[in-house]
Amino acid sequence: MSLWVDKFRPKTLDDLHYHQSLSTRLKSLAASADFPHMLFYGPSGAGKKTRISCTLRQLFGSGVEKLKIDQRVFISPSKRKLEINIVQSNFHIEITPSEAGNYDRVVIQDLLKEIAQTQQVDLNAKHRFKVVVINEADSLSRDAQAALRRTMEKYMSNMRIILCANSTSKLIAPIKSRCLLMRVAAPNPKEMQIVLEHVAKKLKFDLPEEASQQIAEDSGGNMRKALLVFEALKMQSPDLSGSLKIAKPDWETYCHKVADLIVQEQSPARVLEVRAKLYELLTHCIPPTIILKTIAEQVVERVDEAIKADVMHWAAFYETRMRLGNKKIYHLEAWVVKVMSLYKHFMYNFDMADYE
Amino acid sequence: MRVSTRLYAQSHSSLTVMADTFVATGLLGPGPSTSLLGSSSTTDRLTSVFLSNGLLGGLCVAPTHAQPEERVQELEGVDEPSASEQAETMNAFQPNGLLGSQDANGSQTDTFPSSGISHGSQDDHFPPISDILGLIPKSSRNTVSSSSRSFIPTHIRAPLRATTYDGNTIHIGRKRYVGTTQKTSSAPTQLSNLLDVPIHRLRDELSAATALKSSLSKTTARASEPHKPSSPVPEDTLWVDRYRPRKFTELLGNERVARETMAWLKQWDWCVFGKKKSKKRLLEDDENYNPDDEYHRPREKLLLISGPPGLGKTTLAHVIAKQAGYEVMEINASDARSAQVIDERIRPALESGSAVGSSETYIDGATGGGDNSSGFVNKLVSLTFDKPKNKRKKNDQKDKRPLLRPIICICNDQNANALAKLRPHARQIRYTRLADSHIVKRLREICELEGLRADTRALSALVGVAKGDLRGCLNTLQFIKSRNDEVTEPLIRRATVGMKEGDTTVTSVINEIFAPLSRKRLKELGMGEEEEARYVNRLSHTIEGLNNPASIANGCFAHYINCHRHDANLNHYEKAGEWLTTFDSFSSVMYTDGDFALHTYLSYFLVPFHPLFRERGEKRVERDSSDWDNLQLTRANEEIYKSLANGIRSTDTSSQVKSLQLEFAPFVNRIISPPLRPVNSQVIKPQERALLLRLVEIMVSFELRFVQEKAEDGQNVYRLDPPIDVFVTYDGKRAEDIAVSRFAVRQLVATEIDAALVAKQADAVEKGKEHAKANFFKTSRKGVTENDEAPEPMEVIGGNDELRRLNASSEPGPENKRARTSEKLDIADKPPVDFFGRPIAIKKDSRRSSTSKKVVPDFRIAYKHLEGNSAAVRRPTKVSSFL
Repeated sequence: MSLWVDKFRPKTLDDLHYHQSLSTRLKSLAASADFPHMLFYGPSGAGKKTRISCTLRQLFGSGVEKLKIDQRVFISPSKRKLEINIVQSNFHIEITPSEAGNYDRVVIQDLLKEIAQTQQVDLNAKHRFKVVVINEADSLSRDAQAALRRTMEKYMSNMRIILCANSTSKLIAPIKSRCLLMRVAAPNPKEMQIVLEHVAKKLKFDLPEEASQQIAEDSGGNMRKALLVFEALKMQSPDLSGSLKIAKPDWETYCHKVADLIVQEQSPARVLEVRAKLYELLTHCIPPTIILKTIAEQVVERVDEAIKADVMHWAAFYETRMRLGNKKIYHLEAWVVKVMSLYKHFMYNFDMADYE
Repeated sequence: MRVSTRLYAQSHSSLTVMADTFVATGLLGPGPSTSLLGSSSTTDRLTSVFLSNGLLGGLCVAPTHAQPEERVQELEGVDEPSASEQAETMNAFQPNGLLGSQDANGSQTDTFPSSGISHGSQDDHFPPISDILGLIPKSSRNTVSSSSRSFIPTHIRAPLRATTYDGNTIHIGRKRYVGTTQKTSSAPTQLSNLLDVPIHRLRDELSAATALKSSLSKTTARASEPHKPSSPVPEDTLWVDRYRPRKFTELLGNERVARETMAWLKQWDWCVFGKKKSKKRLLEDDENYNPDDEYHRPREKLLLISGPPGLGKTTLAHVIAKQAGYEVMEINASDARSAQVIDERIRPALESGSAVGSSETYIDGATGGGDNSSGFVNKLVSLTFDKPKNKRKKNDQKDKRPLLRPIICICNDQNANALAKLRPHARQIRYTRLADSHIVKRLREICELEGLRADTRALSALVGVAKGDLRGCLNTLQFIKSRNDEVTEPLIRRATVGMKEGDTTVTSVINEIFAPLSRKRLKELGMGEEEEARYVNRLSHTIEGLNNPASIANGCFAHYINCHRHDANLNHYEKAGEWLTTFDSFSSVMYTDGDFALHTYLSYFLVPFHPLFRERGEKRVERDSSDWDNLQLTRANEEIYKSLANGIRSTDTSSQVKSLQLEFAPFVNRIISPPLRPVNSQVIKPQERALLLRLVEIMVSFELRFVQEKAEDGQNVYRLDPPIDVFVTYDGKRAEDIAVSRFAVRQLVATEIDAALVAKQADAVEKGKEHAKANFFKTSRKGVTENDEAPEPMEVIGGNDELRRLNASSEPGPENKRARTSEKLDIADKPPVDFFGRPIAIKKDSRRSSTSKKVVPDFRIAYKHLEGNSAAVRRPTKVSSFL
């Protein structure tokens, strides 16, 4: 029916291929009557969501798989309508508040209160509480996180919250302290290979050892990416033999090009060129932080040891500012100019300020 | 003596109380008069008036005569010319032959002129009164000798105070001067034959004297102006009000507009005043009339005057309405403007107006209302259509009365959204800017009237700056007048600093930032080197004036990289970047936190671009739209993502938005472009066949299609829809490792997809039918069973169908979204649960089941209509619905 990523997603905690200790812990937690709030965190593609859905199934049985997708409309304080997609079953509800942008607080407040104030009425439910899964919790605004604090304590009897985030650094401490932290680490290449082979076995074809190794290494611990790459490869060269050329995502290649441009020449004209490329990336809906990060990593690889630290420092600096600001392109370009200037200063090794 | 008494009576005719006592004293002689003086010595004015009557003789000379003179001077605020006149009149009066006693002369001549001074000074003050009111005909001024002095006893406004014999104080208001004149000839020879001079001659002399005086006091000759103030106005009114045209003929410029408006208003005459038109007019205007309008109203019942501010639209409406004999009722922006107002105020006004006489409504600034005004406008329009003769049968027909009075709407922007409904029903008149020369002329006239020296250049500069805004010009002039007596160009420049901001654009501001001031402009602004160097204030002012710092920042961002190209170490650019990012941080904090106090500081972040990138001789900055274009493109791509996400969501509930762009989109594109050979699907190799099937499967599940289109060059092209291939297309080039799928391949895939879709749909429909049939009785039965034993809902819900569905959802089989949604929609398929997930026990059924429990299994009896056109009729009906 769908892509392999979804098709072979494990359904129960027992089906999971790696992080077995985590699975057993989750199982025992689900079995006990006292289920805490949880915060799953780890890199993208490590299997956080898979584990969450497995845990839910463990908690409530197969009923959680009967999902329906709703679109709810919230009214922001400025009377704007916010449409949020909600995935829910009888036992849990899944939201992505970052869809609401700045007004995620409204969504959190309205929705959570509504859920928290209604008790589970299904007498056959294994637990009296409902579970709220909040995706992309690290992009919750401060207001929304603050709104979450009290709700988490007050409505403990009716509701549990499962947060899913890439890193805990953007969550405020009170939230972290209210949750049981679950780190889902990225699988190592060996584990990924096991998964890939499992998929191949299910599909009844042979996956050469070196191919799976190559895929696993290339995807950098991102299971989803690995499976997508695998499927793409399979589609493009069905026998999977010979030398495999694993495609990088296009935006990534493009970012590499930008890094090349920055290192090759430092001039206003080049800045203009880079700007055009940055715009191109932004229009392709690549998140600006990712752009900055990818380019910075590439630039660091290409420059001398001495200024690597500086390049990264400024990347971090402008990344923070970018988060605070609205016009991402300003910050990106400011960083580019900064790096160019750094590089130039380093190359000529003297201060040209005297020649102004 | 007769003359004197007459004059006396005349001069005091207004003071009736006084006149009694006075006349008595005059006749009785000096004794009582002095006693009166003594008693009323507190009332200065009284004595002064009394004293002025020198005709009564020297005995009544009061010791206080000097005092009243002072008082009078104080009161009238005697200025130099009047002082000089004092001397004149003194001389003139000396040989007062009428008075018998010359001994009192010395002091009396002193006092007498004092009143003369008062008149003279007053004359001086309000020269226009006589001119404008036309009290004194200026017919024969040349006949009169210049030596004759005349006093126009204009009334003194201050009330009089008198004390009666009992010591009570009486306040006596002075009545208006009625219009007769007092005349004292200066020549002693003429005194004897005073009576020989006929009254009209005397008047002529008088008027000539006043004319002379006014011409003396004014160095500049006044042209006859149509707009002179019609009444003496106190100094504190705005010039705008003072010189507002009051008559149709006084309206400035735009005569055609004025005439059109007038013509429209005149068309109402029949309706409002019941006047019949002359034959000629009737013929002329015939086309404007609704032939079947019994009220003979013009076809367009509203008038919409539009035009930029300050040109006199409101004045026009007022003046014309007045001219046409209407009483104006105004609803302007300061009033609440809602639909309610129409009901509460306008309608009564219009309706009562039909009884009382005539009234005319006009609505000012119709554009101002925002979204509220739309209701207002709607109501207004509906008002115009309320007429009994339209035969729509309405319940409230009786209440509605036809609009019988003209309504004028005034707005600045006739294309405003709020007026969209109004426009078709209104006669539209555009009020355009007058020719500058007309305005300058009018301004100069006003300046002369106000004693403001103005040269034409300064005035035309003012008009240019104000862009023809007459009101703005007048206000500026009055402002200047309050400090200076002369209007010069620099003064105008300084006074209109704020005005200039009105016509700045983003481009002009950015140009100002990036280019130093031109020499010419420097001269215009009258700035020296030093002032030029002080750019911060000037620039921040300009930026603030535009009130759109974000777009200026955009312009700066777009342009700064083009400047200072020779800057080798990129220092300037670094700084510029810092300023821009700071600007962005501030503005986003401002918008997200609503902290608009920061707005003041925003402009300062953009000023540094001036010292950093200022360059003489740079070409002008053009508007750069790349940011906007990119934004649009981003939006478009976001939409594509959304549609892709919707497609994915149906299969994969756990897809995150972020991973979509980064991981999904690139790989999905690769997955859906396998190296297929363009061959007929019948002769395809089994391996490729599998590939093709898989591809079709994926594309169907993601709701991706190939849509056939004609390209620009006329070739048939299959386009991916939604076009997610844009995400692998950078700089217009596709990624190299993705094989470009050829037309034939796409065609092959497209046909396969269509086939698959048709199959799916048919399948879904079939399934739906099957379910509906199977579940028709199932639901009710289930209610019963659940009621009895409350089983676990999951297991009991279904028969085979249900289990199959469960399997399908737990183990994703080859089903597409369509089938699933149709299943979802199939309510009959689901366990009957209420909103909260509780199983529903259907009451009727439970009752039935309790009564007929033994008869289980229950009969499944249903009636089905065999005839009937629609499915609604033909569907099976339960017996229970007949019971």
